[in-house]
Parts: sequence; C-alpha cells; structure tokens
Amino acid sequence: MALRAVQINSLKWGSVLARAQHTMSAFELQHKTPLIKKQAPIPVAMYGGRNAVTMLPGGGIGPELMEYVREVFKYAGAPVDFEVIDIDPMEESSGAFEYAITSIKRNGVAIKGNIETKSETAGSTSRNVALRNELDLFINILHCKSFPNVPARQKDIDVVIIRQNTEGEYAMLEHESVDGVVESMKVVTETNSDRVARYAFEFAKNTGRKKITTIHKANIMKLSDGLFLETSKKIAKLYPEVEHNDMIIDNCCMQLVSKPHQFDVMIMTNLYGSIVSNVVCGLIGGAGILSGRNYGDHYAVFEPGTRNTGTAIAGKNVANPLAMLNASVDMLNHLGHKRHADLIQRAIYKTVSEDQILTPDLGGSAKSTDVVQRVIDHILQADMRPW
Amino acid sequence: MSLITRTVPRLFVQATQTATIRNVHNSTSNNSPRLAERPDTRVTATLIPGDGVGPELVYSVQEVFKAAGIPVDWESYFFSEVNPTLSAPLDDVATSISKNRVALKGILATPDYSHTGELQTLNMKLRNKLDLYANVVHVKSLPGIKCRHSNIDCVIIREQTEGEYSALEHESVRGVVECLKIVTAKKSQRIAKFAFDYAIKNNRKKVTAVHKANIMKLGDGLFLRSCEEMAKLYPKIEFEKMIVDNCTMQMVSNPQQFDVMVTPNLYGNIVDNLASGLVGGAGVVSGSSYSAECVVFEPGARHTFSEAVGKNVANPTAMLLCASKLLRHVNLPMYSEMVRNAVEKVLQDGKVRTKDIGGQSSTQEFTYAVIANLKMPKV
Repeated sequence: MALRAVQINSLKWGSVLARAQHTMSAFELQHKTPLIKKQAPIPVAMYGGRNAVTMLPGGGIGPELMEYVREVFKYAGAPVDFEVIDIDPMEESSGAFEYAITSIKRNGVAIKGNIETKSETAGSTSRNVALRNELDLFINILHCKSFPNVPARQKDIDVVIIRQNTEGEYAMLEHESVDGVVESMKVVTETNSDRVARYAFEFAKNTGRKKITTIHKANIMKLSDGLFLETSKKIAKLYPEVEHNDMIIDNCCMQLVSKPHQFDVMIMTNLYGSIVSNVVCGLIGGAGILSGRNYGDHYAVFEPGTRNTGTAIAGKNVANPLAMLNASVDMLNHLGHKRHADLIQRAIYKTVSEDQILTPDLGGSAKSTDVVQRVIDHILQADMRPW
Repeated sequence: MSLITRTVPRLFVQATQTATIRNVHNSTSNNSPRLAERPDTRVTATLIPGDGVGPELVYSVQEVFKAAGIPVDWESYFFSEVNPTLSAPLDDVATSISKNRVALKGILATPDYSHTGELQTLNMKLRNKLDLYANVVHVKSLPGIKCRHSNIDCVIIREQTEGEYSALEHESVRGVVECLKIVTAKKSQRIAKFAFDYAIKNNRKKVTAVHKANIMKLGDGLFLRSCEEMAKLYPKIEFEKMIVDNCTMQMVSNPQQFDVMVTPNLYGNIVDNLASGLVGGAGVVSGSSYSAECVVFEPGARHTFSEAVGKNVANPTAMLLCASKLLRHVNLPMYSEMVRNAVEKVLQDGKVRTKDIGGQSSTQEFTYAVIANLKMPKV
C-alpha cells in the first residue's frame, strides 16, 4: 500500500527533481530535495578553448593505455590538458583518492582506468564504487557497436546499455545477523530509478533510437525490481514515440547471445548492468574494445567499457589500446571538440576495420604500439589538422 | 639565400617528424615534447597591430615567421581608438577572433578624454565582447638583460572585465563624481579558479591573492572570499593573501617570493606594469588574455611607445615571445621553441640590443639577428 502511494506521487517527484537544479534557490534545494546530493556548481575548466581533464591511470594496463591516449592527443592536437593523479592501490589511507575526487569536482570531466582496491577486509570499499557514489554518477552508458572486420561471435550489433550506477546491489550494506547467515541489501529508490528512466528516454529521443527495454527480475524481487520496472513504465508513458518493453534478466542474457539484434536501448539496475555489458562486450570482441561513460548531474567520467584492470598483461605491450582510445573519443565529444573526436575515431576505424591491425585478444598479432602507431599515421594523413 | 632559409627548416621539420613518429615504438612514460607539426597544413590567426610601435613590432614577427617558414596565415585588422576613421569595426574584429580562436595584438592607445562622451574604451569593448576575462602575464627574468633583480619568475593573473573598469561613472552633484567598482561572486570565482587551474597545469606551488579588503570590505572582500573558497579545492597549492600596497613593496624589494598572483582588474594592471619594469620594461614581457573559447596574445605591459614611431628603435622581444606562445597554443610546439630559442640566444649573446636594454641596435637589426639564430630544436 505504501508502495502504491509512492508510485502515485512519482510523476510529481520526477518533475520536481528535473526542475530542482535550475529553478530552486540554494535554500529550497537543501530542504525540498533531500535525495539530491548538494553540489554547488563550479566554473568549467575551459580556457582559450583548452579543457583541463583529470586523468586517473589506475592499475594494471591503465598507465600504458593512458600514455597511448596522450600520444594520440598530441598528434591530433586535441586541446586537452591532463591533470594526472596516480593512486597507489597498496596504500591504505585514501589521501590520493580523495584528491582525485576533488580534482574531478573542479575539472568536471575525467578519464580513468580501473582503480584497484587491493584490500579485501570488510571495512574497505571499492574505490571505483566510492568514486561513483561520491560524484553521484548515477548513469553508466555503454554503446556497444560492432567494428566491421573484427572477428566476433555476432556481427552488426548496435545496442546501448544504460545502467543505474550508484545503488542496487552495490549499496555495500552487508551484515551477518546470526553466525553463518549473511544478509546483503539491494537498495532501489524511486528517485534514482526515475532519473535513469528519464535519462534513457531523453537519450533515445535525442539520438533517434526506437525502443527501450527494461531489464529486471521483478518476478522474484517483486518490490525492489518491481519499483524499477514500474517507474520506467510510468516514464515510458511520457514518451509515446519511443517503444517500451521489458524482459527478465535471465531471458535477456539468452536472447543477447542468440538474437542480439532485437535490442536497441536497454536500462537496468546496477548488477544486471555489469553482467549484461560484459556479455555484450564478449559478443563483440572482448574487453579491449568498448568504452563506457558515467554521468551525473555535474560530472562525467570516461573509462573502458568493461571494468577490468588487466594486471596479467601489464607491461607486455599486448593490451588492446582501443577501449581507452574510444573512451578518449567519447570524452572529446562530451567536451564539444567534435572535429578532434571525429579525426581520432576515423583513424581508429581505419586501423581496425580496414587495415586490420589487431592485438592478440582480437585474434591479431600486432603489438599495442603497432596499433597506436597506425592510428597516429592515419591522423597525420588525414586532410585536416584541427588544433 | 632567403629561399634556403625558408626551405631548410621545413625539410628539417619533415625529417625530424619521421624520426619522432618512429620513436613511438619505444615510448614509455617520459614526457619529452615529441612534436607533432604538419608542415603542409596552415593555421589562421587574427592580427591587430595596434597603435604606436605596434605595426613595426608586428612586421618584425611576420619577417621571422616568413624566414622560419611557419605555417600561419594572418587576418590583419587595423584597430584603433585614436584613429577611429581608419579603424575596422569592432564587430568584424570580434567575429574574426572568435572564428580563429587565436589572435596576436599590439597595444591600443586610449585617450585620457573621451571625445564622444562614451566611457568604455575600445580595449574594454573588445574584452567584454569576447569575454576575455583572464589576463596572464608571465614575468620572467630573461638571460642577458641586466636588471636590479634576477631569477624573477612569477605569473600575474588579472580579472579584466569588471572591477574598476566597469565604465560606470557619473557626476551626481556638480563637483562630485562617483565611479562604480563592480565585483561579482561569479566572476571572482571564475578568475580564482583560472589562477588555480593555471598553477596546477604549470606545476606552480603557490597562489597569492592581491586585494585591498581592509578598506573595501565588501567589494574586495567578496573577491578575497571567492579566492579562499576556491583554494579549498586545491589542497596541494599553497594559498596566501596580500594587501596590494604591501604587495607592490614586496614586489620591488623581494620579487622572487611570488609565484602565481591573482588580482582584480586595476591592481592587476598596476602590478603587471610594475613587474614588467623589474625584468626589463614594456619591450620584453609577453602576456595573453583568455576567454573560455579564445586567446589573444599581447605584450604584458600596456604601453604603446608612441614617441618611437617610425624611429626603428622599439624592442620586438615581447611581441616575438607572444608569437612563440601563440604557436604553442595552436599546437606548433616545435616552431614555438624555435622562435623563443632564437630570441633568447640573441639576448644572451648581447651583441644586438635595442636602446631600451642598453644597446644601439635598431628593431630591424634585432629582427635579423633573431632570424639568423633560427634553429630547429633538438628532439
């Protein structure tokens, strides 16, 4: 009954939230929107056409991939100044990590590798998760698009996965109530479900996509996933031009590997998102290709699509640089440097799909540096030179 | 001869470039400036010679660019307040700058009395039109110029769209003039963030806010508070504040203590010129004005040197250093270094000096000396 009441109120809630950032005074924001994290806007770090961007290389192959990104940016003349912050995974204190978050707050945009959290003690939280929570990056988007001529299980996939990124199973609330019995809480909130659904439908509308599928397990988790599903159904009514359906997560996984082309845009809660994006990445060619984007109301963080550290292949010059390069293209697009983004994107496309310079994970034999080198060659041969 | 000087560096560029490309293979994590010039493509920049000796200095820059084969095309506009009939319209100039996103500008003369009754100067109009809010003057002791102090290396960042330059003045009662100084939280935060971001980007350690909040408790107080608040976001940068009168005294007695300084409009103007005087005068200090989108490079000290017009004695160092910075900004770092190294070499050798730094050479001789010293930097 209580749930119903919440649902009836939800539309009103959503519009309050949408308005909140723009029309409310600081006082109203503080008192009428208890669920929004309060963040005063900071001036954008863009000077003379150049952006400052925080770079968190992270662990494993992160540092070498970042080096490639910087190399490519140098040749493409991309107007970005990186503020590099190394976080030592072994370090127990979180000084560098706190500083990284401050840095993202003032730059507004970051590109990151995977940050390892070595400690497995109960008290320590994953730094990746902490970063998303702290910055309130509630959306994760993965645009899964096949590269032609790259050996993969499925061809011509074009799916957008939109994932709630801050709650659900990742609430990190676990406890052992009785000896031998552990409870883990999955938290689904109306506000966050609303934000994700709204974002997804706006995204579909703006990018001309036709269909949104909500992925859930509401047959079992009737309240939590039920709320997520109900919310997205409600928002769907506001966007009659976008088709909406829903699918249970287990069926979804099966459909993805057998008939992935039926999907267009998918929205889901946190854990399902993690699983589904890895499934789709596997279909397309593995962890090394796709890039993911994390958005909150104020900040954007770009990273490789599947969040693997790749410690095993670090330093061997075999890591696939594409994921991070694609992330950097996403970042340039976000910053509005379309010409540089196009330049690099085209160079990547030519390298991968036309020249077929592929690293071992895609069945090729090229070194990481060979791929980067070819991308740079294509940039230099392009008939334009933006700065 | 000129053909050789023009083509040889170009060949060098191509040769070194192939070399740098190959270097990628063993790229580890070094940050050496591997350079990415594309000699076959060109950059367009707006050029405003300005008043006084501006045109002569700009000519010197063009000569050097021509000799070095630098791929920059100029869109030249004569823009002047003291010569309104010949001046290009403000809109044209602003459009050109926002299109090219980069400009090289001489100093515009501003008359003490307005003939039209208008209070805004042309400079102010241009800045406001393009929102060129941040002026950066990097004051650095140059080799071979003898001054009272050595090893000065400070950056003065000045808010230049509000404060005392609001052009809001009126005579409320006869004999009583009020001049409004406008300070807004938004613009104060913006300039403070600019200063701190500049410090981060250029590996600087300290930011000093210059103010007079003990007297102007509300106006400068707001500016100071904005700086203090912004400083909290930059725990690794030291922040200090200094009252402008003390600041000027410290500047002439112990200038090495300063690193990055952030100032409101008028104080910035004064400190800029003071600091320029410390390292050799208006002829040797370069500066730049930033908006979110574009950059205008102009000499750091605002002095037209109109008494020297046509005498061929002005020092083109400042303008050449501006040009060098412009090249770095448009991603031509190799040419940028080439020009800067040549200028520094000439100053260091000390054989060719203009009058302002104790020599007898002409602008033209200095320019030729720079051209003779143009060399591709080692990669």
